[in-house]
Amino acid sequence: MSDLEKKYNLSEKELFSRIDHDSLETEVITAPRYSYWQSVFKVFFRKKINIVILSLFVFIIGFAYIYPSIVPYNSDANLLNGALKHLSPSQAIAAHGFSIHWILGSGAAGQSTFDQMWNGARISISLAFICALINMVVGTIIGAVWGFSKRVDMVMTEVYNIIGNIPYVLLISVLVMLFTASFWTMVFALTVTGWLSIAYFIRTQVIIIRDREYNLASRCLGTSIITIALKNILPFMTSVIVTLAATEIPSYISYEVFLAYIGMGMKDMSLGRIIYAAEASMLTPGWQTEFWAPVILTSIITVVLYVVGQNLGDASDPRTHM
Amino acid sequence: MVKYLFKRLLHGLLSIVAVVVIVMVMVYSLMDRTLIFASDSLYSKQLNNNKTVYMYKRWAQYGYLDCVTYSDYLNLLAKNGEIDEETKAAAAVLGRTADKDSAITKEYTAKFAEYYQSQGYEPVRLDAVLLNKKVAQGGQAQLFAYRDYPVLTRLTKYFTSIFTIDNIHSVENYKGERGLEFTLYDPVYGGEKFSPAIIGSGTNHRYLFYVDSTFPYVHQNFLTVSLGTSYTVNKGVDVFDTMNKSQGSYKQMLITYPSGLTEMSADDLHSATYVENSLETSAVYATRFVDDYTNVKTYKNNMSKVGYSFVIGIIATIIAYLLGIPLGIVMAKNKDKLVDKLGTIYIVFIIAVPSLAYIFLFKAIGGVIGLPTTFVMDTASKAMFILPIVSLALPSVASLMKWMRRYMIDQMNSDYVKFARSGGLTESEIFSKHISKNALIPIVHGIPGSILGAITGAIITERVYVVPGAGNLLTQAINSYDNGVIIGLTMFYAILSVLSIILGDILMALIDPRISFESKDR
Repeated sequence: MSDLEKKYNLSEKELFSRIDHDSLETEVITAPRYSYWQSVFKVFFRKKINIVILSLFVFIIGFAYIYPSIVPYNSDANLLNGALKHLSPSQAIAAHGFSIHWILGSGAAGQSTFDQMWNGARISISLAFICALINMVVGTIIGAVWGFSKRVDMVMTEVYNIIGNIPYVLLISVLVMLFTASFWTMVFALTVTGWLSIAYFIRTQVIIIRDREYNLASRCLGTSIITIALKNILPFMTSVIVTLAATEIPSYISYEVFLAYIGMGMKDMSLGRIIYAAEASMLTPGWQTEFWAPVILTSIITVVLYVVGQNLGDASDPRTHM
Repeated sequence: MVKYLFKRLLHGLLSIVAVVVIVMVMVYSLMDRTLIFASDSLYSKQLNNNKTVYMYKRWAQYGYLDCVTYSDYLNLLAKNGEIDEETKAAAAVLGRTADKDSAITKEYTAKFAEYYQSQGYEPVRLDAVLLNKKVAQGGQAQLFAYRDYPVLTRLTKYFTSIFTIDNIHSVENYKGERGLEFTLYDPVYGGEKFSPAIIGSGTNHRYLFYVDSTFPYVHQNFLTVSLGTSYTVNKGVDVFDTMNKSQGSYKQMLITYPSGLTEMSADDLHSATYVENSLETSAVYATRFVDDYTNVKTYKNNMSKVGYSFVIGIIATIIAYLLGIPLGIVMAKNKDKLVDKLGTIYIVFIIAVPSLAYIFLFKAIGGVIGLPTTFVMDTASKAMFILPIVSLALPSVASLMKWMRRYMIDQMNSDYVKFARSGGLTESEIFSKHISKNALIPIVHGIPGSILGAITGAIITERVYVVPGAGNLLTQAINSYDNGVIIGLTMFYAILSVLSIILGDILMALIDPRISFESKDR
């Protein structure tokens, strides 16, 4: 009988209990919790300018969707009254009385430039977001497969080289001619080959990180390709994808404006169509607002989308989280 | 290297063929065929059955299908001696409907249908259109057969007709002796001035080789390139000609015609081509020419479409490189300082703002300064070139600045720069001798592309400033459904883009000795 047992008058079993190696306990990380997206926003909001730009972004998107849906807009309401056409802002306010509709004057059909502009902005922004969503999803998935499989790579590189040589204007205009020039035709025309350049970009990125040591090790340990793609490579690509989306979204708006300007746009009064229709007003004294207002709004939208996207892309790079 | 380049060229050729096939399928098979008549004034004048026949004839002319009319068939039979003129005249009369045909017409229409059906044609019989019991205008009964071209036939036809080699057997019914004549004294210049020329008889062109005072001074007509005939953009003229022909007012000069007549004219005698029986039928030609080589082009005062696009494009490209590269280097040197930030704002502006918006902005600013904002041919002032050049150069400056800055910064962080610094080299030495050289290599790759791209022109810039360049040709062709021009231009663009990538690779290999095409996987 030992001293301790004597002292407390307890048996050995009661005095000592055996503690085994706990495999769960060893896995606990004592460092502070790291959440990826939380860190992204922390870094994003660290810069004060980003808050300003983001609120501008939210304001423009919100205004473009809410304003046209609560304020009725009829482009032909003043069609028969010649005195109400092509009014400068001050004339329009004098003619209609002060209201938000007339702060930018009126257009060729006597319509409110301000209302028309925001209706157009809603169409253009919707087009850009839908096209970007389709192209980014399709492009990323195909690009990932393209980067992984050597056999797919051979075929797709040829396809890319061939389709890259077809003038984009031609492809879109033939599609617009085949179907009627509606919103969804435009979406189809911009996405039917639009994903290809995104897929090519993703493919290059995938090839760069595919053969890094940690992926090699992962494959040696028997991880399936799909798991490697989703768990090892996709997180690495998040910032690349966000940055890419930041250049893509405004580019669709620019492209829509370009197509409308050369006469191949859609029938809906998007921003591009408004600019195209008002082109003649640019050189007429007193009518300039009709032309410059939608041009400036388009520029503001594209710049804001681009800057927000770029800064979000920077923030989503884990290397900036330290 | 040669073997590799050959492989690349072959690859490029395949890709060009594939592009033409895709575009052909899109344009000829997927698009509504009646659209090509949208801007055809003759079409709208045709009525009833005549309209249908006119449509098929035009489609045949522009390569959609092969179309044979009943009268063509009878003419063919008469030519082969199978029927005499009387039977032909009797058989040619079609009844108002098929039942009302005379016996002889019935016999030959049946033969016609049988013959062409066996060859895969589809016979079409249009009954007469009646108005108040009389045949309406253009409503006569019609009979013809047509067959759609399969894509493969169309493709081989297109590619075999791109290059035409002129030889002394080109003209079919040439009167007189065929042959080539080499002279050191070109008769166009009076036969006394030394100027070598090759003159052909029985060839399509009179002058197969000659020298004159316009660029590129030495000309040949042995090989003619035709990319596709235009329907509406420049009716009946080949795309290649449309792009390369001088424009504007006629350039009058004192010239001596083959007949000895001397007068002020814009005719280019070197371009004379053969037109059968033209001398006899035209009194104008009879006083000027001595044979049937009467079809001449004219000299005009201004550059061609490609010429304008190229001049504007090439100057803009040179300015862009001269400004963009140094600015990119300055930005990289002063990273995160004021210059860098200003440059970044400019780059963001150019990338994010639609090109249309800033081109209009440049136009408005230019207008305020007093520069001409529209392009007018036949003016001596060169000021109208300024705004298009600026509008093309400034965006390229931005993209060159962006890439140059990126490459410089990448190079600045590399080990060899740290080593050079530790070796005691001055900063300016490191920048000019080490970093710039390495950063310029990827920039050099784009140079052939920008030079060749200058040929194709810029769509928006040329439209905004009304430049008579090549940039608008494709949109013009698409808007007027001119398929010949669309196909021709697509191929032209595809060739240029394939060439510019290959040339870029060659240039990069020449500049950087580390790049080698020989042993790819070392």
